[in-house]
Amino acid sequence: MSSQSDVRFTDFKSDKQPTWCPGCGDFGTMNGMMKGLAETGNDPDNTFVVAGIGCSGKIGTYMHSYALHGVHGRALPVGTGVKMARPDIEVMVAGGDGDGYSIGSGHFVHAVRRNVDMSYVVMDNRIYGLTKGQASPTSRSDFETSTTPEGPKQPPVNPLALALASGATFIAQSFASDALRHQEIIQEAIEHDGFGFVNVFSPCVTFNDVDTYDYFRDSLVDLQEDEDHDATNYEDAKEVILDADKEYQGIMYQDENSVPYHEQHGVTEDMSEIPDGAPEDAMDLVREFY
Amino acid sequence: MAEDLNWAVGGEAGDGIDSTGKIFAQALSRAGRHVFTSKDFASRIRGGYTAYKIRTSVDQVQSVVDRLDILVALTQRTIDENLDELHEGSAIIYDGERSWEADIPDDAAAVDVPLKSLAEDAGGAIMRNIVALGAACEITSFDVEYLDEALEKRFGGKGSKIVENNKEAARLGQEYVQENYDLDLGYDLETTDNDYVLLNGNEAIGMGALAAGCRFYAGYPITPATSIMEYLTGRIEDYGGHVVQAEDELSAINMALGAARSGARSMTATSGAGIDLMTETFGLVATSETPLVITDVQRSGPSTGMPTKQEQGDLNMALYGGHGEVPRFIVTPTSISECFWKTVEAFNLAEKYQTPVFLVSDLAMSVTEQTFEPETFDMDDVEIDRGKLVDEDEVEEWLDSQGRFRAHAVTDDGVSPRAIPGTTEGAHMSTGLEHDELGRRTEEQDERVQQVDKRSRKVETAKEQEEWDYREFGDADADNLVISWGSNEGALIEALEYLEDDGIDVRIISVPYIFPRPDLSDEIDAADDTIVVECNATGQFADVIEHDVLTRVKRINKYTGVRFKADELADEIADKLSQEVPAQ
Ligand SMILES: Cc1ncc(C[n+]2csc(CCOP(=O)(O)OP(=O)(O)O)c2C)c(N)n1
Ligand code: SF4
Ligand SMILES: [Mg+2]
Repeated sequence: MSSQSDVRFTDFKSDKQPTWCPGCGDFGTMNGMMKGLAETGNDPDNTFVVAGIGCSGKIGTYMHSYALHGVHGRALPVGTGVKMARPDIEVMVAGGDGDGYSIGSGHFVHAVRRNVDMSYVVMDNRIYGLTKGQASPTSRSDFETSTTPEGPKQPPVNPLALALASGATFIAQSFASDALRHQEIIQEAIEHDGFGFVNVFSPCVTFNDVDTYDYFRDSLVDLQEDEDHDATNYEDAKEVILDADKEYQGIMYQDENSVPYHEQHGVTEDMSEIPDGAPEDAMDLVREFY
Repeated sequence: MAEDLNWAVGGEAGDGIDSTGKIFAQALSRAGRHVFTSKDFASRIRGGYTAYKIRTSVDQVQSVVDRLDILVALTQRTIDENLDELHEGSAIIYDGERSWEADIPDDAAAVDVPLKSLAEDAGGAIMRNIVALGAACEITSFDVEYLDEALEKRFGGKGSKIVENNKEAARLGQEYVQENYDLDLGYDLETTDNDYVLLNGNEAIGMGALAAGCRFYAGYPITPATSIMEYLTGRIEDYGGHVVQAEDELSAINMALGAARSGARSMTATSGAGIDLMTETFGLVATSETPLVITDVQRSGPSTGMPTKQEQGDLNMALYGGHGEVPRFIVTPTSISECFWKTVEAFNLAEKYQTPVFLVSDLAMSVTEQTFEPETFDMDDVEIDRGKLVDEDEVEEWLDSQGRFRAHAVTDDGVSPRAIPGTTEGAHMSTGLEHDELGRRTEEQDERVQQVDKRSRKVETAKEQEEWDYREFGDADADNLVISWGSNEGALIEALEYLEDDGIDVRIISVPYIFPRPDLSDEIDAADDTIVVECNATGQFADVIEHDVLTRVKRINKYTGVRFKADELADEIADKLSQEVPAQ
């Protein structure tokens, strides 16, 4: 393993050229992920990235690390298994809003509750990009798409509130185009002792003409500039998370007393190492049945 | 074979039937007797008939028969359900002081014991079943001290007072029968100095997993697979492993897959609807070339079916489940001890060939306890083969000209090197998308064909390198061939004796591998008659065999939800042999 100092963020870049549409928010989101991983002292050989299915899920190909690009919606369970078996490995899970909040929403709730020490980056473009522009769970209720000509006519999921209600210990939101802040926030998520969840506004320039760069640039409020917001305060967190009138960037909530899963359950061993035969005292297992 | 005794305790679900039966089974085992148990039960926690049955002999027993000698009946329904199995010489132990008016068949001996009040004398009504066990000891001339040992094992953790009270309850039951009845039914349970272990198929799978180095298990509760998870919980930690209860089976199999990609030997187990959910991920396990053991403890379907009943209905699912063409291995243990050994083998196959391995067991085996000599599970015989797992030095050999690790390298045997996280220069992606040698998506025709071929080649290599033998019993030269898979093996072996008595010679082939599987062409050719026995309605294995050998076979199918019994099976085999072969 190379030492911290030689790792550059480009080490996390594969030689595969992204095929995202020019201008896609996912470029910026991925850059922040790579920089965040490098800055926090990881290298590709001790990092595992689990990617969802969607335009967003392509990061598995464009980044360089140990990685699995699996089944639509199941990225979080895979990441959970990787981390439980190998607490020494840095695990980052990433996917789209459809992947995480629709087909994978059941896993989201439980991954949050479990508080496994990994980060989860959702590239939220409020649309299904890969399948060419259908409504996603975060699409606005009047957002017209090929499958919802008059809009979904249902309120969008508030993933931050869902996370809070599920017992999250770290909830943040960033904007792909605010490179510096995005990277900082990702880093905080990686360094958080537990499940670091970041919802990233990652605009789809092809299929979403509402939730655009301009829209976020104009409307985004950075919590860093709000002196009254104390991220360690649950009530403060609730207030910004449930505020439907504004789009926020920053860390909404961080539980300072977070106890990650592996500490809670004493899961600390490298499970990849096993003896050449049955464990030494294995006959005791048989004797139990006397 | 030595004389066997068939014993049962039955009542309402929630009456503690299971633990009562288990205690008696344990006592018999301590006395150096062989035991084979079976359960009739309903899925409701309370209410509904449930029974725990024991067949015991000084010889090995591995099947149930249609005969009941001693019945402890806590309800009338217990008697009614078993009328056909009771005979002249059976004894029924019941509590005449209880509100129900027992209707005892004429030819059975009625042994009315005030179970509840004697239990109260010993310290609490809750011990009434133990009083009945004491009574059963007296009727079978079985030393109560063996029962004491079982009670110590069962209640030892709850303190000596509880143990002593239970021992007292057993004695009160024994003495009551001694003083009030002068029965001579001829039951005299012989004992031996042998030490046996008593376990069920799910415990054997769990123990096999631990022996094989399984360190991670993810599952979602479902009957009858849950007891594997329960066995591992509290034990796997001793080896640095962990069990996690997932939010559903979609998650469970993906967690297990994640752990396997991390380099852990990893497993999930489920049944019924759970395997349907897991089907989603079969293809990913196969194309990402992840070693994973997926256990299906079959139960009666379709849909929620009969959740606590026996069936072998998932063979087609195991063979064909999942869209696209999914290379896989299917291992089907045929007995409780084989549940252990086939689990060990499944882990080796998974890692050697980086392919999903389905370990397909069934409900009958999962809830049945059987005695074995401890050496049956000789841990020194457990071998671990991790396949082409590469370390930091070996990685070098597998880098391309630009220093990238070829995780899906196209090799002669189809097996690629496997680098796990933390291995320097081994970083790579794997994906459910078709990919090139580096694991990167491709739709290039040549690469696609190469990868499909390489994955198929792993199966071919395994066919050549591994032994896919069947197990054989009976008369190897017999003209009559009976083929079976899964837990029917024990009943078939015991059916041989009945058939022999009728002058019918049979060769039995019990198949523990469904894919790849042994080629039975010569065996079927050599036989005049072939019958395939399985617990399903359509004859899924018979279909596979007919397809393999292009010959029609006879079929015995049972789908009542109850496993085959030896005597019943013997009758059916004799009957089938007298019938014509179905038209081609
Ligand atoms: C089980 C399953 N159903 C449907 C699909 C098709 N599909 C691929 S990506 C996708 C939605 C992706 O949306 P999102 O997660 O928001 O990702 P984005 O493309 O917007 O980044 C769907 C429905 C699939 N791959 N698997
Ligand atoms: S379709 Fe949208 S999300 Fe997908 S690559 Fe293009 S811009 Fe990005
Ligand atoms: Mg999306």
